This record gives sequence, C-alpha cells and structure tokens, in this order.
Amino acid sequence: MDASTGIPPAVTDETEQFWANAAQGRLVVERCQTCGAESFPPRGICRRCRGRSMAPVEVTGRGRVYSYTVNHQRWLPDLEVPYTIVLVEFPDHPGVRVIGRLRDGDPPRVAIGMEVEVGFEPGPGGFAIPSFVTVEEAG
Amino acid sequence: MGSERFEQRVVISGVGQSAIGREVPRSGFQLTLDAVLAAIEDAGLAVDDIDGLAMFPGGGVTHLPGYANGNLYEIHDALGITTTWRQGQVEGMSLPFYAPAQAVATGQARHAVIWRTVKEGSAARRAGGRPAYGSTHPEADGPLAWLLPIGALSPVCQVAPYATRYMYEYGVTREQLAWIPVTQRRHAALNPDAVYRDPLTVEDYLGSRMISSPICLYDCDVPADGSTAIVVSAVETAPDLRAPVRIEAMAGVIDGRPTWEQWEDMGRVGYATAAALWSRTDLTPQDVDVAQLYDGFTIEAVWWLEAMGFCGTGEAGAFVDGGERIALHGQLPLNTWGGQLSGGRLHAGFGHTAEAVRQLRGEAGERQVEGAEVAAVTNVGGIEAGAALLTRW
Repeated sequence: MDASTGIPPAVTDETEQFWANAAQGRLVVERCQTCGAESFPPRGICRRCRGRSMAPVEVTGRGRVYSYTVNHQRWLPDLEVPYTIVLVEFPDHPGVRVIGRLRDGDPPRVAIGMEVEVGFEPGPGGFAIPSFVTVEEAG
Repeated sequence: MGSERFEQRVVISGVGQSAIGREVPRSGFQLTLDAVLAAIEDAGLAVDDIDGLAMFPGGGVTHLPGYANGNLYEIHDALGITTTWRQGQVEGMSLPFYAPAQAVATGQARHAVIWRTVKEGSAARRAGGRPAYGSTHPEADGPLAWLLPIGALSPVCQVAPYATRYMYEYGVTREQLAWIPVTQRRHAALNPDAVYRDPLTVEDYLGSRMISSPICLYDCDVPADGSTAIVVSAVETAPDLRAPVRIEAMAGVIDGRPTWEQWEDMGRVGYATAAALWSRTDLTPQDVDVAQLYDGFTIEAVWWLEAMGFCGTGEAGAFVDGGERIALHGQLPLNTWGGQLSGGRLHAGFGHTAEAVRQLRGEAGERQVEGAEVAAVTNVGGIEAGAALLTRW
C-alpha cells in the first residue's frame, strides 16, 4: 500500500520539530517543563497549566486505538484504497492522541482498544507520516 | 428568564433560495443574487432596506471546489445598496443567523442578509467524483495539516471515527441508523426542490457502497448547486415585514478541543451548546414541533437528537428505528425538507433554517407539519456547534 499520494503538510514554526523527528522515525510530542503534562499537536503552550516552557518528548510505548475508519473512496486520482485510519491514544502519555494510518494487512485487522506500535511511512511530498503497526497477540 | 436575551430583539424576516439541483447551469454569483433577492422579497422588504451584508464562508475559504459565494463587495455593488455592517464569516459561524442577529440586536444594522452558495454538485461532476477537501491547495495548513497528509482527505474520513466510536460505545447499529436517511427521503419526496426524491429503503442503504466505514453512501449529504439567503431584521420593524419568525433562543458553545481528530469524547457532541440553549428558554424538548437537525452525515443528526434531549444518550438508534417517531406525523418530524442527505448539501444550516421558517409560517406545502409553533435548528456539531429555537410570530 502506497501512502505517498496526497497533500503534504505546511510546516510551521510549531510543527517543524514534529516533522523533522518523523523523518527519523520518532514520534515527538510536547511535555510541559512546569507541570509535566503532555500535549499534541504542538502549540508552544501547556494546555493544562499554560506554562510556556515546552520540551519535546518521544513516544515509544504501545498505543491503543481510540477509533478508526476504513476509507474506500478514491479522493484523488492515484490514491490507493482501501486504507485504514486510526486515532491512537497512549496509556503512558495521557492527553496525547495521534491520527495516522494503520500499515499492515489488506485491509488490516482493526478494532477499538487494539494495541499498536508507533511507526511511520513515506507520505505525500516526501514527508514521513504517522503509520501504526498492529501488535500481534501471542500464539 | 427575562427579556434580556439579545436574540429576542431580532426576527428572521426572510428566507430565499435559488434553483437547487445536482447541477444548476448558472454561475454561483447569479445563484447568490437569485437567493438574496428572493429572501428580501420574502421578508416583504425592498432591496434598499438592506443595510447589513454577510456571507459564509468568507472569501478566503476555498478548501473545496464548488464554494461559490462570490465576492461580498461585488454582490454589494450589484445590489447598489448602502450598508452599515458587513462580514465574511468563518470562525464563530455556529448558526447562519448568529452574527447577523448580533449586528441587528446591537443596532449596527436593521435588516441584514447572509448567504451561502454552493456549486459542489457541478464541481464533483467536473472532478469525476467528490474531490478531496483541500485539493485546491498545494499544502495542508492549520488543523488540516494533521488530516490530509495521512489520508483523511474528506470530511467523511474526519467524521467517520465519531460514528465508529459512537456505535461501539452504545451498541447502535447501521440497521437502526438507516431510518434517518430513509425517513428523510420520504420527506424529500414531498419537497419539489429536493435533489433526490425517489424512494430509498433500508435494504438500499445496507447495500450501498462504503465510503469511510461505517459511513456509507447514503449517510453522506448530496453535493448540490444552489444558494440560500436569510434576512434578519430588528423586531421593531415587524409591522413592515410579511411573515417574521421569532428567535426564542440560540447558542453556540465550544467546550472541547475544536479540531476533528482531537475532540475528546467522540460519542457525545453538541451537549454544551444544547445545555446553553435550554438555559435561555422556558421551553423544553417536548415543546419542539419540528426539528431541522444538521445532517452533513447521518451521525451528525444522531448527535443532535441526543444532545438536544429528544432522546437519551445512546438511545438515538432505538428512537429512529422504524422511522415512526421522526416521520412527518411522528413525535419529532425530522428534516422535513429531506435534509442535506436528500434535499442537497446547502451547508452550514442554511437549508435547515429556511425549512424551519417555512414550517413555522405554514408555508411548507405537502410536507407541512400541522400546527408547528416551535422549530429546532442545529448546525454542524464538530468544531462549531450551533442550536436555536425558532417560534411562530
């Protein structure tokens, strides 16, 4: 499944660090240096205490699917379909939800609550886009 | 509740629509003029009475091909009027008449008109299908920067996870929700201006192709061509007006993260707006005779049925099952013009408002709900969420 057909993101001062880390395969969110709350997307301010000292922190642990959709519609001429879009939350990073693709399978097995690993794949305009991978159950 | 609510200092005096269809061979500019002139005439006013002009969205918004409002200053020039208030609306557009009501209630204008013109039907035909949101831009900016690059290329993909989550949390089924588009199609059959009027069955719905699961073709509103204009007037001008309708109460609250993918509880949308609305009136959900609830997608009407208290949280599936309660003669006639699902995507609550006004005046023809005195109108839900109660003069 090729995910490179589409519309690339406009990169801003706030999002530059996210996309640069994405290119290295790292999912980075903001952590407040004052109260420790984590936040995404990056806004340069803590959404809990309004502290302005935010530092990047990498999300490495497993996530859980909060919700999803399997898209069947070819919105652009060369778009490969179907593909699955997942909204992922992280037990170790409360307050962080990231939307991305689910990469494995055709279409992949997907369910709310399912565990996924963080990943990326080549997206539009040479950007690496969030793209999660199913955690296979033992046995 | 006293008489301090600003929305009670204004009325909706006129609604007007151009020809509406899958494709209307007329420019967006001309459709806009058709609707604006019709709305002014409908109000019983002359063009020169209009001193406020607004459109939604404002000129800078071109995410989708087929946004065809025209330029506000060129419409102003075409009408040859003098205005004291103008606005291109995007943020804050919880209801089509919200900003005009603010302007008129504060004396900035006496008769303000706002319009919304779409040529999305023609645009879809030209593109060979519904084009991607943002496809007119080389890059995705703002909130779309997180959505378009990963393939959430349409409002369908952006709303679908809400439906997935809602159905998961409350055990509501597609077989139940099918009754919303099916019943609205029955209403559309009685609306000569509706885009789709042929019967639709639950079997048709369940057999239709999936767009973004669980949203199927018949859960999506119909890209259309057409314009709707609404005139808001100062209440003291009522003697000059043909058939004004009161704004009993209105509200537009954002109490969560206002981007599609970050909204915290995707099973519940619109609740803060609905609570604010009911706090501004002595009326209750039981007093509502007809409901024009935003239905860009079936799930959006579900949000409003529950948020407004027409049924309990998670109970919309049972409420709409079989279609009786939401039929024209049911306890809550829903989207009596067919809604955007069959009447056409006139967008942003403009078509819903026009129909609410027609129902309260007794001008809804074959689909008239007898004795309609209170109408609910809602708009969108995700990001902006607007709700109003309109009442017969």
